[in-house]
Amino acid sequence: MFHWLEKRPFFFAVAVFVVIAFAGLIEILPNFAQASRPIIGAKPYSTLELTGRLVYIKNNCNACHSQLIRPFKSETDRYGHYSMSGEYAYDRPFLWGSKRTGPDLMRVGNYRTTDWHENHMMNPPEVVPGSIMPQYPWLFKNVADLDTAYAEQLVIQKVFAVPYNTELPTADGSKVTVKLADTLEGARAEALEDAKVVAADMKNQDVKDAIAAGNVPEIVALIAYLNRLK
Amino acid sequence: MNKTILAAILVTVAMLGFTYASIEMAGGLDKFLSGGDWVNMLAILGAVVLVAATTFVVTKYIRQMQNDTVGGKLADENWDGIGEYKNEAPFGWALIYFGTIIWAIWYFLAGYPVNSYSQIGEYNEDTQVHDKKFEAEFAGILKDPEKLNEMGESIFIVQCAPCHGLTADGMGGKAADLHTRISEASVKHVINNGANYLKTSFPGGMPPMLLQDPAQIDAVAKYVANGFKADDVAGKEAFTAGTCNTCHGENGEGMPMVAPKLNAMDADMVAAVLKDGKKGAIGTMPAFTNLTEVQHKAVDAYVASLSKK
Repeated sequence: MFHWLEKRPFFFAVAVFVVIAFAGLIEILPNFAQASRPIIGAKPYSTLELTGRLVYIKNNCNACHSQLIRPFKSETDRYGHYSMSGEYAYDRPFLWGSKRTGPDLMRVGNYRTTDWHENHMMNPPEVVPGSIMPQYPWLFKNVADLDTAYAEQLVIQKVFAVPYNTELPTADGSKVTVKLADTLEGARAEALEDAKVVAADMKNQDVKDAIAAGNVPEIVALIAYLNRLK
Repeated sequence: MNKTILAAILVTVAMLGFTYASIEMAGGLDKFLSGGDWVNMLAILGAVVLVAATTFVVTKYIRQMQNDTVGGKLADENWDGIGEYKNEAPFGWALIYFGTIIWAIWYFLAGYPVNSYSQIGEYNEDTQVHDKKFEAEFAGILKDPEKLNEMGESIFIVQCAPCHGLTADGMGGKAADLHTRISEASVKHVINNGANYLKTSFPGGMPPMLLQDPAQIDAVAKYVANGFKADDVAGKEAFTAGTCNTCHGENGEGMPMVAPKLNAMDADMVAAVLKDGKKGAIGTMPAFTNLTEVQHKAVDAYVASLSKK
Protein backbone atom coordinates (compact mmCIF):
# COMPACT_ATOMS: atom_id res chain seq x y z
CA MET A 1 0.00 0.00 0.00
CA PHE A 2 2.60 2.56 1.08
CA HIS A 3 5.07 1.38 -1.52
CA TRP A 4 2.38 1.88 -4.13
CA LEU A 5 1.63 5.38 -2.84
CA GLU A 6 5.27 6.37 -2.51
CA LYS A 7 5.84 5.76 -6.18
CA ARG A 8 2.85 7.86 -7.30
CA PRO A 9 3.25 11.53 -6.37
CA PHE A 10 -0.27 12.50 -7.47
CA PHE A 11 -2.09 9.88 -5.40
CA PHE A 12 0.32 10.51 -2.55
CA ALA A 13 -0.68 14.19 -2.60
CA VAL A 14 -4.36 13.20 -2.62
CA ALA A 15 -3.80 10.85 0.32
CA VAL A 16 -2.01 13.59 2.26
CA PHE A 17 -4.85 15.98 1.54
CA VAL A 18 -7.46 13.46 2.71
CA VAL A 19 -5.63 12.75 5.96
CA ILE A 20 -5.07 16.41 6.80
CA ALA A 21 -8.60 17.39 5.74
CA PHE A 22 -9.97 14.69 8.05
CA ALA A 23 -8.04 16.12 10.98
CA GLY A 24 -9.30 19.57 10.04
CA LEU A 25 -12.93 18.42 9.88
CA ILE A 26 -12.68 16.80 13.30
CA GLU A 27 -11.67 20.18 14.69
CA ILE A 28 -13.98 22.39 12.67
CA LEU A 29 -17.25 20.45 12.47
CA PRO A 30 -18.12 20.45 16.19
CA ASN A 31 -17.84 24.25 16.13
CA PHE A 32 -20.41 24.47 13.36
CA ALA A 33 -22.73 22.28 15.40
CA GLN A 34 -22.69 24.87 18.15
CA ALA A 35 -22.66 27.77 15.72
CA SER A 36 -22.77 31.22 17.23
CA ARG A 37 -26.49 31.67 17.41
CA PRO A 38 -27.39 35.00 18.96
CA ILE A 39 -27.91 34.72 22.70
CA ILE A 40 -30.97 36.24 24.34
CA GLY A 41 -30.33 39.96 24.51
CA ALA A 42 -28.15 40.21 21.42
CA LYS A 43 -29.56 42.69 18.93
CA PRO A 44 -28.44 44.08 15.58
CA TYR A 45 -26.82 47.50 15.35
CA SER A 46 -28.94 50.54 14.64
CA THR A 47 -27.81 52.88 11.87
CA LEU A 48 -26.05 55.26 14.28
CA GLU A 49 -24.39 52.44 16.21
CA LEU A 50 -23.18 50.78 13.04
CA THR A 51 -21.83 54.14 11.88
CA GLY A 52 -19.96 54.36 15.18
CA ARG A 53 -18.63 50.87 14.66
CA LEU A 54 -17.28 51.94 11.28
CA VAL A 55 -15.64 54.96 12.94
CA TYR A 56 -14.13 52.56 15.49
CA ILE A 57 -12.68 50.43 12.71
CA LYS A 58 -11.59 53.43 10.65
CA ASN A 59 -9.58 54.84 13.54
CA ASN A 60 -8.15 51.41 14.25
CA CYS A 61 -9.33 51.31 17.85
CA ASN A 62 -9.23 47.51 17.62
CA ALA A 63 -5.44 47.61 17.21
CA CYS A 64 -5.11 48.53 20.89
CA HIS A 65 -8.46 47.56 22.41
CA SER A 66 -9.79 44.03 22.49
CA GLN A 67 -13.46 43.10 22.74
CA LEU A 68 -13.16 39.72 24.34
CA ILE A 69 -13.30 39.07 28.08
CA ARG A 70 -11.71 35.75 28.92
CA PRO A 71 -13.17 33.57 31.68
CA PHE A 72 -10.57 34.47 34.31
CA LYS A 73 -11.41 35.95 37.69
CA SER A 74 -8.96 38.81 37.11
CA GLU A 75 -10.70 39.77 33.86
CA THR A 76 -14.29 39.40 34.98
CA ASP A 77 -13.53 41.49 38.07
CA ARG A 78 -12.30 44.28 35.88
CA TYR A 79 -14.45 44.10 32.76
CA GLY A 80 -17.62 42.22 33.71
CA HIS A 81 -19.11 38.91 32.57
CA TYR A 82 -16.89 36.84 30.28
CA SER A 83 -17.76 37.00 26.57
CA MET A 84 -19.97 34.40 24.95
CA SER A 85 -19.92 33.43 21.29
CA GLY A 86 -23.59 34.32 20.77
CA GLU A 87 -22.91 37.92 21.73
CA TYR A 88 -20.95 38.40 18.52
CA ALA A 89 -23.70 37.08 16.28
CA TYR A 90 -24.27 40.48 14.64
CA ASP A 91 -20.62 41.54 14.53
CA ARG A 92 -19.30 41.56 10.98
CA PRO A 93 -16.37 41.44 11.32
CA PHE A 94 -15.95 40.66 15.00
CA LEU A 95 -13.48 42.94 16.76
CA TRP A 96 -11.99 40.56 19.30
CA GLY A 97 -8.51 41.91 18.83
CA SER A 98 -5.45 40.07 20.03
CA LYS A 99 -3.50 42.74 21.84
CA ARG A 100 -4.43 44.94 24.74
CA THR A 101 -2.41 48.10 24.67
CA GLY A 102 -5.53 49.71 26.13
CA PRO A 103 -8.19 47.98 28.22
CA ASP A 104 -10.86 45.65 26.88
CA LEU A 105 -14.00 47.42 25.63
CA MET A 106 -16.46 44.49 25.38
CA ARG A 107 -18.72 45.96 28.11
CA VAL A 108 -17.46 49.53 28.31
CA GLY A 109 -21.07 50.79 28.12
CA ASN A 110 -21.65 49.44 31.62
CA TYR A 111 -19.09 51.58 33.37
CA ARG A 112 -18.32 54.60 31.18
CA THR A 113 -20.71 57.32 30.10
CA THR A 114 -21.15 59.75 27.23
CA ASP A 115 -19.54 62.67 29.05
CA TRP A 116 -16.58 60.55 30.10
CA HIS A 117 -15.98 59.45 26.50
CA GLU A 118 -16.25 63.06 25.37
CA ASN A 119 -13.57 64.21 27.82
CA HIS A 120 -11.44 61.17 27.12
CA MET A 121 -11.37 61.29 23.30
CA MET A 122 -10.48 64.96 23.36
CA ASN A 123 -7.51 64.44 25.69
CA PRO A 124 -7.04 61.00 27.26
CA PRO A 125 -4.27 61.84 29.80
CA GLU A 126 -6.53 64.50 31.29
CA VAL A 127 -8.92 61.86 32.64
CA VAL A 128 -6.56 58.90 32.80
CA PRO A 129 -3.20 60.14 34.14
CA GLY A 130 -0.34 58.41 32.34
CA SER A 131 -2.50 57.23 29.46
CA ILE A 132 -0.61 56.77 26.19
CA MET A 133 -3.77 56.88 24.07
CA PRO A 134 -3.55 59.59 21.41
CA GLN A 135 -6.05 62.42 21.13
CA TYR A 136 -8.88 62.14 18.63
CA PRO A 137 -9.94 65.78 18.08
CA TRP A 138 -10.99 65.23 14.47
CA LEU A 139 -13.83 62.98 15.59
CA PHE A 140 -15.53 66.13 16.90
CA LYS A 141 -15.33 67.82 13.47
CA ASN A 142 -15.71 65.00 10.92
CA VAL A 143 -19.22 64.25 9.79
CA ALA A 144 -20.05 60.58 10.17
CA ASP A 145 -20.75 58.44 7.12
CA LEU A 146 -24.32 57.30 7.80
CA ASP A 147 -24.88 56.25 4.18
CA THR A 148 -22.27 53.48 4.26
CA ALA A 149 -23.68 52.15 7.50
CA TYR A 150 -27.19 52.10 6.03
CA ALA A 151 -25.91 50.29 2.94
CA GLU A 152 -24.23 47.74 5.17
CA GLN A 153 -27.46 47.27 7.11
CA LEU A 154 -29.40 46.61 3.91
CA VAL A 155 -26.80 44.09 2.77
CA ILE A 156 -26.63 42.13 6.01
CA GLN A 157 -30.40 42.13 6.25
CA LYS A 158 -30.71 40.63 2.76
CA VAL A 159 -27.68 38.34 2.73
CA PHE A 160 -27.44 37.19 6.36
CA ALA A 161 -31.10 37.63 7.34
CA VAL A 162 -30.17 39.92 10.23
CA PRO A 163 -33.48 40.48 12.06
CA TYR A 164 -34.19 44.17 11.64
CA ASN A 165 -37.76 45.36 12.30
CA THR A 166 -38.35 42.13 14.22
CA GLU A 167 -39.28 41.68 17.85
CA LEU A 168 -36.33 40.20 19.72
CA PRO A 169 -36.34 38.87 23.29
CA THR A 170 -34.13 40.49 25.92
CA ALA A 171 -32.68 39.15 29.12
CA ASP A 172 -35.35 40.73 31.34
CA GLY A 173 -38.22 39.23 29.32
CA SER A 174 -39.22 42.36 27.43
CA LYS A 175 -39.06 42.69 23.64
CA VAL A 176 -36.93 45.03 21.63
CA THR A 177 -37.11 45.99 17.97
CA VAL A 178 -34.22 47.47 16.04
CA LYS A 179 -35.66 49.57 13.27
CA LEU A 180 -34.27 49.72 9.78
CA ALA A 181 -35.68 52.54 7.67
CA ASP A 182 -37.10 51.88 4.19
CA THR A 183 -35.24 54.76 2.61
CA LEU A 184 -31.86 56.41 3.00
CA GLU A 185 -33.57 59.63 4.07
CA GLY A 186 -35.48 57.73 6.72
CA ALA A 187 -32.29 56.12 8.00
CA ARG A 188 -30.54 59.49 8.19
CA ALA A 189 -33.47 60.98 10.10
CA GLU A 190 -33.54 58.08 12.56
CA ALA A 191 -29.80 58.26 13.13
CA LEU A 192 -30.09 62.00 13.75
CA GLU A 193 -32.80 61.39 16.36
CA ASP A 194 -30.56 58.84 18.13
CA ALA A 195 -27.62 61.23 17.84
CA LYS A 196 -29.61 64.02 19.53
CA VAL A 197 -30.12 61.79 22.57
CA VAL A 198 -26.38 61.15 22.84
CA ALA A 199 -25.40 64.75 22.11
CA ALA A 200 -27.74 66.01 24.84
CA ASP A 201 -25.18 64.73 27.34
CA MET A 202 -22.25 66.40 25.55
CA LYS A 203 -20.73 69.83 26.03
CA ASN A 204 -18.60 70.37 22.93
CA GLN A 205 -19.90 73.36 20.94
CA ASP A 206 -18.82 71.96 17.54
CA VAL A 207 -20.88 68.85 18.23
CA LYS A 208 -23.93 70.85 19.27
CA ASP A 209 -23.66 73.05 16.18
CA ALA A 210 -23.32 70.06 13.88
CA ILE A 211 -26.33 68.32 15.39
CA ALA A 212 -28.36 71.54 15.14
CA ALA A 213 -27.42 71.72 11.44
CA GLY A 214 -28.63 68.15 10.96
CA ASN A 215 -25.21 66.52 10.75
CA VAL A 216 -23.90 63.71 12.94
CA PRO A 217 -20.26 64.16 14.02
CA GLU A 218 -18.18 60.97 14.17
CA ILE A 219 -17.72 61.27 17.93
CA VAL A 220 -21.47 61.02 18.51
CA ALA A 221 -21.74 57.87 16.41
CA LEU A 222 -18.70 56.38 18.14
CA ILE A 223 -20.10 57.13 21.61
CA ALA A 224 -23.46 55.65 20.61
CA TYR A 225 -21.57 52.50 19.63
CA LEU A 226 -19.46 52.42 22.82
CA ASN A 227 -22.51 52.99 25.01
CA ARG A 228 -24.23 49.95 23.57
CA LEU A 229 -21.27 47.67 24.26
CA LYS A 230 -22.73 45.97 27.30
CA MET B 1 41.37 7.26 31.82
CA ASN B 2 39.68 8.16 28.57
CA LYS B 3 40.08 11.82 27.57
CA THR B 4 36.34 12.20 26.89
CA ILE B 5 35.34 10.98 30.34
CA LEU B 6 37.90 13.28 31.92
CA ALA B 7 36.47 16.23 29.98
CA ALA B 8 32.95 15.22 31.04
CA ILE B 9 33.93 15.17 34.72
CA LEU B 10 35.59 18.58 34.36
CA VAL B 11 32.52 20.07 32.67
CA THR B 12 30.22 18.54 35.32
CA VAL B 13 32.28 19.99 38.14
CA ALA B 14 32.44 23.38 36.43
CA MET B 15 28.67 23.49 35.83
CA LEU B 16 27.83 22.36 39.35
CA GLY B 17 30.27 25.00 40.65
CA PHE B 18 28.52 27.59 38.54
CA THR B 19 25.14 26.47 39.93
CA TYR B 20 26.51 26.74 43.48
CA ALA B 21 27.91 30.22 42.76
CA SER B 22 24.54 31.34 41.41
CA ILE B 23 22.80 30.12 44.55
CA GLU B 24 25.36 31.94 46.70
CA MET B 25 24.79 35.13 44.73
CA ALA B 26 21.04 34.79 45.23
CA GLY B 27 21.45 34.66 48.99
CA GLY B 28 22.89 31.23 49.77
CA LEU B 29 21.43 27.81 50.30
CA ASP B 30 20.31 28.64 53.86
CA LYS B 31 17.91 31.27 52.60
CA PHE B 32 16.16 28.75 50.37
CA LEU B 33 15.99 26.14 53.13
CA SER B 34 14.77 28.49 55.84
CA GLY B 35 11.98 29.95 53.75
CA GLY B 36 10.25 26.57 53.53
CA ASP B 37 9.69 27.28 49.85
CA TRP B 38 10.03 23.90 48.19
CA VAL B 39 9.74 25.41 44.70
CA ASN B 40 13.26 26.84 45.05
CA MET B 41 14.58 23.51 46.29
CA LEU B 42 12.98 21.82 43.31
CA ALA B 43 14.65 24.33 41.00
CA ILE B 44 18.07 23.57 42.52
CA LEU B 45 17.47 19.83 42.29
CA GLY B 46 16.41 20.35 38.67
CA ALA B 47 19.61 22.23 37.92
CA VAL B 48 21.77 19.44 39.36
CA VAL B 49 19.86 16.72 37.52
CA LEU B 50 20.09 18.71 34.31
CA VAL B 51 23.87 19.03 34.60
CA ALA B 52 24.30 15.32 35.30
CA ALA B 53 21.92 14.18 32.55
CA THR B 54 23.41 16.53 29.95
CA THR B 55 26.98 15.41 30.52
CA PHE B 56 25.98 11.75 30.63
CA VAL B 57 24.06 11.87 27.35
CA VAL B 58 26.65 14.00 25.53
CA THR B 59 29.50 11.76 26.70
CA LYS B 60 27.60 8.66 25.61
CA TYR B 61 27.07 9.94 22.08
CA ILE B 62 30.58 11.33 21.68
CA ARG B 63 31.97 7.91 22.68
CA GLN B 64 29.55 6.21 20.32
CA MET B 65 30.76 8.44 17.48
CA GLN B 66 34.35 7.61 18.38
CA ASN B 67 33.91 3.84 18.68
CA ASP B 68 30.87 2.63 16.72
CA THR B 69 31.21 0.88 13.37
CA VAL B 70 28.58 0.61 10.66
CA GLY B 71 26.46 -2.54 10.75
CA GLY B 72 22.97 -3.96 10.49
CA LYS B 73 20.52 -5.14 7.90
CA LEU B 74 19.64 -3.05 4.84
CA ALA B 75 16.01 -2.33 4.00
CA ASP B 76 14.54 -3.60 0.71
CA GLU B 77 14.10 -0.17 -0.81
CA ASN B 78 16.93 1.70 -2.35
CA TRP B 79 16.72 5.09 -3.97
CA ASP B 80 19.16 5.54 -6.83
CA GLY B 81 21.65 3.34 -4.99
CA ILE B 82 21.15 4.96 -1.59
CA GLY B 83 20.01 2.38 0.99
CA GLU B 84 18.73 2.57 4.52
CA TYR B 85 19.49 0.37 7.53
CA LYS B 86 16.63 -1.31 9.36
CA ASN B 87 17.15 0.30 12.74
CA GLU B 88 15.06 -0.50 15.74
CA ALA B 89 13.38 2.54 17.24
CA PRO B 90 15.40 3.71 20.28
CA PHE B 91 13.86 2.44 23.51
CA GLY B 92 13.17 5.96 24.82
CA TRP B 93 11.34 6.95 21.66
CA ALA B 94 9.23 3.82 21.74
CA LEU B 95 8.39 4.53 25.37
CA ILE B 96 7.31 8.11 24.57
CA TYR B 97 5.31 6.88 21.56
CA PHE B 98 3.29 4.33 23.52
CA GLY B 99 3.07 6.67 26.48
CA THR B 100 1.53 9.31 24.21
CA ILE B 101 -1.06 6.83 22.96
CA ILE B 102 -2.02 5.88 26.52
CA TRP B 103 -2.17 9.54 27.49
CA ALA B 104 -4.33 10.31 24.43
CA ILE B 105 -6.82 7.61 25.47
CA TRP B 106 -6.91 9.01 29.01
CA TYR B 107 -7.24 12.54 27.67
CA PHE B 108 -10.13 11.62 25.40
CA LEU B 109 -12.06 9.52 27.92
CA ALA B 110 -11.29 11.11 31.26
CA GLY B 111 -9.50 14.35 30.47
CA TYR B 112 -11.02 16.73 28.02
CA PRO B 113 -13.93 16.01 25.65
CA VAL B 114 -15.90 13.05 26.93
CA ASN B 115 -15.48 14.00 30.57
CA SER B 116 -16.91 17.36 29.49
CA TYR B 117 -14.21 19.50 30.93
CA SER B 118 -15.17 23.11 30.43
CA GLN B 119 -13.24 26.30 30.73
CA ILE B 120 -16.31 27.93 32.25
CA GLY B 121 -16.48 25.17 34.87
CA GLU B 122 -12.88 25.85 35.76
CA TYR B 123 -13.64 29.56 35.92
CA ASN B 124 -16.59 28.93 38.25
CA GLU B 125 -14.43 26.79 40.52
CA ASP B 126 -11.71 29.45 40.56
CA THR B 127 -14.25 32.10 41.42
CA GLN B 128 -15.71 30.03 44.24
CA VAL B 129 -12.28 29.39 45.71
CA HIS B 130 -11.44 33.08 45.42
CA ASP B 131 -14.71 34.19 46.99
CA LYS B 132 -14.22 31.82 49.92
CA LYS B 133 -10.69 33.11 50.43
CA PHE B 134 -11.95 36.69 50.25
CA GLU B 135 -14.69 36.00 52.80
CA ALA B 136 -12.28 34.28 55.16
CA GLU B 137 -9.67 37.01 54.86
CA PHE B 138 -12.08 39.89 55.35
CA ALA B 139 -14.59 38.20 57.66
CA GLY B 140 -14.46 40.85 60.38
CA ILE B 141 -13.80 43.83 58.17
CA LEU B 142 -17.16 45.52 58.75
CA LYS B 143 -16.19 45.95 62.40
CA ASP B 144 -12.76 47.33 61.54
CA PRO B 145 -13.23 50.85 60.11
CA GLU B 146 -9.56 51.36 59.35
CA LYS B 147 -9.28 48.19 57.26
CA LEU B 148 -12.63 48.92 55.60
CA ASN B 149 -11.39 52.35 54.64
CA GLU B 150 -8.24 50.84 53.19
CA MET B 151 -10.27 48.42 51.08
CA GLY B 152 -12.52 51.27 50.02
CA GLU B 153 -9.56 53.32 48.87
CA SER B 154 -8.15 50.50 46.76
CA ILE B 155 -11.53 49.90 45.13
CA PHE B 156 -11.96 53.64 44.61
CA ILE B 157 -8.67 53.83 42.71
CA VAL B 158 -9.80 51.13 40.28
CA GLN B 159 -13.54 51.78 39.95
CA CYS B 160 -14.10 55.46 40.73
CA ALA B 161 -10.83 57.28 39.98
CA PRO B 162 -11.24 57.11 36.17
CA CYS B 163 -13.96 59.77 36.50
CA HIS B 164 -13.61 61.30 39.97
CA GLY B 165 -9.80 61.40 39.87
CA LEU B 166 -7.27 59.79 42.17
CA THR B 167 -7.81 62.51 44.77
CA ALA B 168 -11.60 62.41 44.28
CA ASP B 169 -11.63 66.11 43.33
CA GLY B 170 -13.64 65.46 40.16
CA MET B 171 -10.71 66.46 37.91
CA GLY B 172 -11.71 70.05 37.34
CA GLY B 173 -15.45 69.56 37.07
CA LYS B 174 -15.43 66.36 34.97
CA ALA B 175 -17.21 64.58 37.81
CA ALA B 176 -18.50 65.44 41.28
CA ASP B 177 -15.93 66.63 43.84
CA LEU B 178 -16.42 64.05 46.57
CA HIS B 179 -14.81 66.14 49.29
CA THR B 180 -18.00 68.14 49.61
CA ARG B 181 -21.56 66.89 49.89
CA ILE B 182 -23.02 68.89 47.04
CA SER B 183 -22.10 71.83 44.82
CA GLU B 184 -24.19 74.93 44.15
CA ALA B 185 -24.54 73.91 40.52
CA SER B 186 -25.92 70.52 41.53
CA VAL B 187 -28.46 72.04 43.91
CA LYS B 188 -29.68 74.38 41.16
CA HIS B 189 -29.82 71.54 38.67
CA VAL B 190 -31.92 69.40 40.99
CA ILE B 191 -34.31 72.25 41.84
CA ASN B 192 -34.83 73.01 38.15
CA ASN B 193 -35.01 69.43 36.87
CA GLY B 194 -36.14 67.39 39.84
CA ALA B 195 -34.43 64.16 40.74
CA ASN B 196 -35.77 60.66 40.54
CA TYR B 197 -32.70 58.54 39.85
CA LEU B 198 -32.12 57.05 43.32
CA LYS B 199 -35.08 54.70 42.91
CA THR B 200 -33.99 52.01 45.36
CA SER B 201 -33.32 54.24 48.34
CA PHE B 202 -35.72 57.11 47.67
CA PRO B 203 -38.54 55.69 45.53
CA GLY B 204 -40.63 58.86 45.51
CA GLY B 205 -38.11 61.06 43.77
CA MET B 206 -38.25 64.85 43.86
CA PRO B 207 -40.43 66.97 41.58
CA PRO B 208 -38.91 69.87 39.63
CA MET B 209 -39.76 73.58 39.94
CA LEU B 210 -40.58 73.69 43.65
CA LEU B 211 -38.81 77.04 43.52
CA GLN B 212 -38.97 79.27 40.48
CA ASP B 213 -37.58 82.62 41.57
CA PRO B 214 -33.86 82.66 40.52
CA ALA B 215 -32.91 84.64 43.61
CA GLN B 216 -34.48 82.07 45.89
CA ILE B 217 -32.88 79.20 43.99
CA ASP B 218 -29.52 80.96 44.36
CA ALA B 219 -30.07 81.41 48.06
CA VAL B 220 -30.97 77.75 48.59
CA ALA B 221 -28.00 76.62 46.49
CA LYS B 222 -25.59 78.66 48.62
CA TYR B 223 -27.28 77.60 51.85
CA VAL B 224 -27.15 73.89 51.03
CA ALA B 225 -23.70 73.88 49.40
CA ASN B 226 -22.19 75.74 52.36
CA GLY B 227 -23.50 73.24 54.86
CA PHE B 228 -26.64 74.87 56.37
CA LYS B 229 -24.95 77.77 58.16
CA ALA B 230 -27.33 79.12 60.83
CA ASP B 231 -26.44 82.77 60.08
CA ASP B 232 -27.57 82.44 56.43
CA VAL B 233 -31.08 83.70 57.16
CA ALA B 234 -32.04 84.33 53.52
CA GLY B 235 -30.96 80.82 52.60
CA LYS B 236 -32.92 79.26 55.42
CA GLU B 237 -36.02 81.24 54.47
CA ALA B 238 -35.80 80.18 50.84
CA PHE B 239 -35.18 76.59 51.93
CA THR B 240 -38.42 76.69 53.90
CA ALA B 241 -40.26 78.59 51.16
CA GLY B 242 -39.44 75.83 48.68
CA THR B 243 -40.76 73.25 51.17
CA CYS B 244 -37.34 71.62 50.94
CA ASN B 245 -37.40 71.11 54.71
CA THR B 246 -40.49 68.91 54.66
CA CYS B 247 -38.53 66.09 53.10
CA HIS B 248 -34.87 66.95 53.58
CA GLY B 249 -35.33 68.11 57.18
CA GLU B 250 -34.78 71.51 58.81
CA ASN B 251 -31.01 71.19 58.64
CA GLY B 252 -30.77 68.84 55.70
CA GLU B 253 -30.55 65.71 57.80
CA GLY B 254 -32.76 63.81 55.30
CA MET B 255 -35.44 61.20 55.85
CA PRO B 256 -35.04 57.47 55.19
CA MET B 257 -36.84 56.28 52.03
CA VAL B 258 -37.99 59.85 51.29
CA ALA B 259 -35.08 62.21 50.80
CA PRO B 260 -31.30 62.00 51.10
CA LYS B 261 -29.25 63.76 53.75
CA LEU B 262 -27.92 67.06 52.44
CA ASN B 263 -25.72 68.43 55.22
CA ALA B 264 -22.96 65.82 55.05
CA MET B 265 -21.76 63.01 52.84
CA ASP B 266 -22.65 59.77 54.56
CA ALA B 267 -22.27 56.12 53.68
CA ASP B 268 -25.98 55.65 52.97
CA MET B 269 -25.93 58.37 50.32
CA VAL B 270 -22.91 56.85 48.60
CA ALA B 271 -24.60 53.44 48.74
CA ALA B 272 -27.73 54.87 47.14
CA VAL B 273 -25.79 56.38 44.24
CA LEU B 274 -23.72 53.22 43.71
CA LYS B 275 -26.89 51.15 43.55
CA ASP B 276 -28.79 53.20 40.98
CA GLY B 277 -26.28 55.50 39.35
CA LYS B 278 -27.35 59.09 38.72
CA LYS B 279 -27.81 61.79 36.14
CA GLY B 280 -26.93 65.15 37.56
CA ALA B 281 -25.61 68.59 36.72
CA ILE B 282 -22.32 67.28 35.33
CA GLY B 283 -23.38 64.13 33.55
CA THR B 284 -24.34 60.52 33.99
CA MET B 285 -22.85 58.11 36.48
CA PRO B 286 -23.47 54.41 35.87
CA ALA B 287 -24.67 52.09 38.63
CA PHE B 288 -21.98 49.88 40.12
CA THR B 289 -23.59 46.48 40.41
CA ASN B 290 -20.34 44.61 39.93
CA LEU B 291 -19.17 45.03 43.53
CA THR B 292 -19.91 42.63 46.37
CA GLU B 293 -21.78 43.72 49.49
CA VAL B 294 -18.58 44.14 51.48
CA GLN B 295 -16.90 46.06 48.66
CA HIS B 296 -19.92 48.37 48.48
CA LYS B 297 -19.72 49.07 52.18
CA ALA B 298 -15.98 49.72 51.87
CA VAL B 299 -16.44 52.28 49.10
CA ASP B 300 -19.32 53.91 51.00
CA ALA B 301 -17.14 54.28 54.08
CA TYR B 302 -14.16 55.58 52.13
CA VAL B 303 -16.08 58.19 50.13
CA ALA B 304 -17.96 59.31 53.23
CA SER B 305 -14.64 59.75 55.02
CA LEU B 306 -13.27 62.04 52.29
CA SER B 307 -15.39 65.00 53.30
CA LYS B 308 -14.43 64.63 56.95
CA LYS B 309 -10.70 65.12 56.35
